Amino acid sequence: MNNQNQSVAEMDDEQLPVAPHRLHGARHFLGLYAAEHVAATEFVIGAAFVALGATIYDILIGLMIGNTLAVMSFWLITSPIAVKTRLSLYTYIDKHMGEKFSRFYNGANVAIFTAISAAMITVSATAVRALFDIPPQTYPYPTSLYFAIVAFAVGTIVVVVAYKGFNVVSDFASICAPWLMLMFTAGGMVLIPALNESLTGYTSLNSFSDFISLAGATVFTGVNAEGQPGIGIWEVIGFAWAANTFAHFGLVDMALLRYAKKTRYGLATATGMMFGHYVAWISAALMGAATAALMKTSIAIVEPGDVAWYALGATGFVIVIVAGWTTANSNLYRAGLAAQAVFPEVSRTQVTLLVGIAVVAGSCFPYVYRNILPLLTYAGLILVPIGGIVFAEQQIFPRIGYKANWFQLKGIKDNTPALVTWAISLVFGFTLNAINIIPFFYLFLPTWFVSIAVYTILAKKHGAADSYPEAEKRLAEHEKEVESYHAQLAKEEAVVVKEKDTSLLTKAIRATWIVIGIVIPAILAWRVLFNSPDLFTYYENREMFYDLAIWCTVIYFVFAWWDLQRSKKLG
Amino acid sequence: MKVSNRVGLFSMCFAMSFPVVAEETLRIATVSNPDMERMQKLSPHFTKANPDIKLDWVVLDENSLRQKVTTDIATKSGQFDIVTIGAYETPLWAKQGWLVDLKGMPAEYDAQDIFPAVRESLSYEGGLYAAPFYAESSFTMYRSDLFDSVELVMPEQPSWDFIESAAAKISAKHTDVNGICLRGKVGWGENMALIMSMANSYGARLFDMEWQPELTGDAWGKTINDYTRLLQKYGPEQPEQQGFKELLNLFKDGKCAIWIDATVAASAITDPATSSVADKVAFASAPDAGLGKKSNWLWSWALGVSNASEKQEAAKRFVQWATSKEYIELVATSEGWSNVPPGTRQSLYQNQDYLAAAPFAELTLSAILSAEPNSPAVQEVPYKGIQFADIPEFTGIGTAIGSQVARALKGDISVSEAQENAQWVTSEVMSHAHFIGNK
Repeated sequence: MNNQNQSVAEMDDEQLPVAPHRLHGARHFLGLYAAEHVAATEFVIGAAFVALGATIYDILIGLMIGNTLAVMSFWLITSPIAVKTRLSLYTYIDKHMGEKFSRFYNGANVAIFTAISAAMITVSATAVRALFDIPPQTYPYPTSLYFAIVAFAVGTIVVVVAYKGFNVVSDFASICAPWLMLMFTAGGMVLIPALNESLTGYTSLNSFSDFISLAGATVFTGVNAEGQPGIGIWEVIGFAWAANTFAHFGLVDMALLRYAKKTRYGLATATGMMFGHYVAWISAALMGAATAALMKTSIAIVEPGDVAWYALGATGFVIVIVAGWTTANSNLYRAGLAAQAVFPEVSRTQVTLLVGIAVVAGSCFPYVYRNILPLLTYAGLILVPIGGIVFAEQQIFPRIGYKANWFQLKGIKDNTPALVTWAISLVFGFTLNAINIIPFFYLFLPTWFVSIAVYTILAKKHGAADSYPEAEKRLAEHEKEVESYHAQLAKEEAVVVKEKDTSLLTKAIRATWIVIGIVIPAILAWRVLFNSPDLFTYYENREMFYDLAIWCTVIYFVFAWWDLQRSKKLG
Repeated sequence: MKVSNRVGLFSMCFAMSFPVVAEETLRIATVSNPDMERMQKLSPHFTKANPDIKLDWVVLDENSLRQKVTTDIATKSGQFDIVTIGAYETPLWAKQGWLVDLKGMPAEYDAQDIFPAVRESLSYEGGLYAAPFYAESSFTMYRSDLFDSVELVMPEQPSWDFIESAAAKISAKHTDVNGICLRGKVGWGENMALIMSMANSYGARLFDMEWQPELTGDAWGKTINDYTRLLQKYGPEQPEQQGFKELLNLFKDGKCAIWIDATVAASAITDPATSSVADKVAFASAPDAGLGKKSNWLWSWALGVSNASEKQEAAKRFVQWATSKEYIELVATSEGWSNVPPGTRQSLYQNQDYLAAAPFAELTLSAILSAEPNSPAVQEVPYKGIQFADIPEFTGIGTAIGSQVARALKGDISVSEAQENAQWVTSEVMSHAHFIGNK
């Protein structure tokens, strides 16, 4: 509302709907989501399913169903709203919910993203811990001063780099995805023979059913870390579905999907769900279980650093650092932005410093990263009511004659119905959690419905069903201005589009990182899994993988970075 | 009472001693060898007496069987109700709770008749966890006609040096016959059974008393050198592909002059129905190297019931039938005494019909009784087992060492390289398993 008096051209792009010429095709989202969901969290979540005692069939089928439900949620809930509004949720809230709501929302984001950043720094610190031979941290709190120092040091570096060179790390993160996907898969492949050998004495598997039997007996045993019967298929489905509730039901991914040309591109999230949240989780679980077997310890306390080291050798050290760092970096950025919105009167430096201190302090506590799955689930629960409110405005209100943008039309300061709805929904969700009548990972569903119902009722009372002809006219004019601005922008930006870079050098650079960085390690991992008939050959193949994978990694990053810089310069 | 009547009565007793249950199909995994195949052939006698039970057979070669059964049992998949296993797996798997204790056998089963050494090898904490189908040691089987042709006399207790000189002489004169046949196929139960037994007689041991591998020692070097030289000079073509079953066929076809292998092969090679050299076979003890240890092993193929089976009572009923005295009588009736499963029951070696029909019986008995699984090597060792070490890690170690020896046999690597590789992989495994150091 406050922006309507401003010239459209002077407005921050973020405050405007995405211009039509900046929309992306399906390929963009296929790649984006594949990259987005292969991160350090996967190491921890994979192991969490093992510690929770899921069976192999629950995992194979439950994850498939849960992730399919997540994809459908992106497709049917997030994507239509994102495509319809072409706004990020942050902007949407700013426009539709008012300042107070924005502050609360950003406050929640500060807490959530600070915790995720801290967890990811701890993940990176576990690799450094292994390097310095510091004992594994098996308690929720640090039991070694040296570990606390390591976590503090790693955290400080990550925070400082995020503050000083966020874009560099962000660029770096953008080239990591293919390598991370490969290494997650390769890690599982490399450790399967060792896992099999630890149980049967044989390194080779004769069939897929042997693999299922092995995974069922050693990884997904149906018994949890306390030796009790573990979670079942409903819980697995719930976890998989709920792991990204803040992104789909909570609509945080409107920020990405607002660029989709078509609603159905929400289905492209399948690359992230079916690789990162299926293959990578299962692979991480295999790696974790094999490492626990080799270390003769419990998977509940085995650390990502150990897991990656056993699975990938020196490359494992790199993957944990890189995955932890890049995930922490982006979440630090989100936490910092949200904190600035909460405390606009405090300088950016001071806010960043405060967030940084909280992140570094949190990273010293292994409790945070070990509980990443419940953390994500509860984060989803907190944010889902906001998704419900937006869903009600965008999908329900137009169908029952209410105004989706009633708050803008009415021109009030705060969206009280939204604030009250969020509060009621949280009380409702956490009360359900306290009385424990449904598993906590399904809490988001009733909470979402409650938020829709409550908001629909409260909004009507506050004027959502009323008519605002003057304001509607003003808004329609503003939309026309935006349209013509976008048309002008499209013409200007069309001039600067350069020809596609097809030079031989670019092709050679690309071929180098694809062949040496991806294909060769994949072949080496394949050899370890499928061409190791006995332990000697297995060790030999594994050592070769360890020795070469690290150099392939170095070459991959050098050439992928070069490729990125050239494409920025030339493309 | 006639044998057939006793068999019928025994089957009826079995049928009556268990409650009547709905029809069940038992899945049996067994090894492909003449004795086991005979059991399969005769099994309709069991199903006739037990109409509530059907049998589904999975017959595999030794290596495949071991891996498939191990995977099934260890992962508790429950694909097999009855598994054919040996003296190595039984106590280890019983300790893991993967096998059913076969207690409660009826009195007529006469478990005390089983040789104590065989029974002990299949027991864990006093309970019998697999019933022996047959037991074996190893000895020297040779062609008396070929020995005569080169004017050689096999001593009762040959040495490895004598075996080599005999193989050389016979090979020189009979180019269509392999001077010696020894297992070369990779597998802890294939080539490693022979190599471990041979190494014991050479004064080698797998581990010292601190569990440090000794594979780079001189005794191992001499063992592998002699083994590879024997086979490369006088053995069959592609010796690294020859396992028990392949060598049995070679011997029966008259292609082996000397074969040092399982005593259970004796019945097949002396059976005129299947062997072209049945009347030209003689036997001697397993060779030694003059250090007081013969290279004879002790093994039994036994039937165990998987703890993951949902048909454990029916499975136990079949195991009792297949390993009973009455089964032996059934085989004697239908196939002749020389073909009965040997080595498990003391009463068999008091049976004059058997002793008369099986010229190898006494030597088999002597080999079984003289095997010392509790003291397998010249020096003291921390493990039990002659051709294996009774630790779970042996499966992986044995296959890996066997693979290195096979590479040396093929000429891909030198013997010393094979020793170094074997030492390295064994040390790695023992370190990971915390037997030595800490990895």
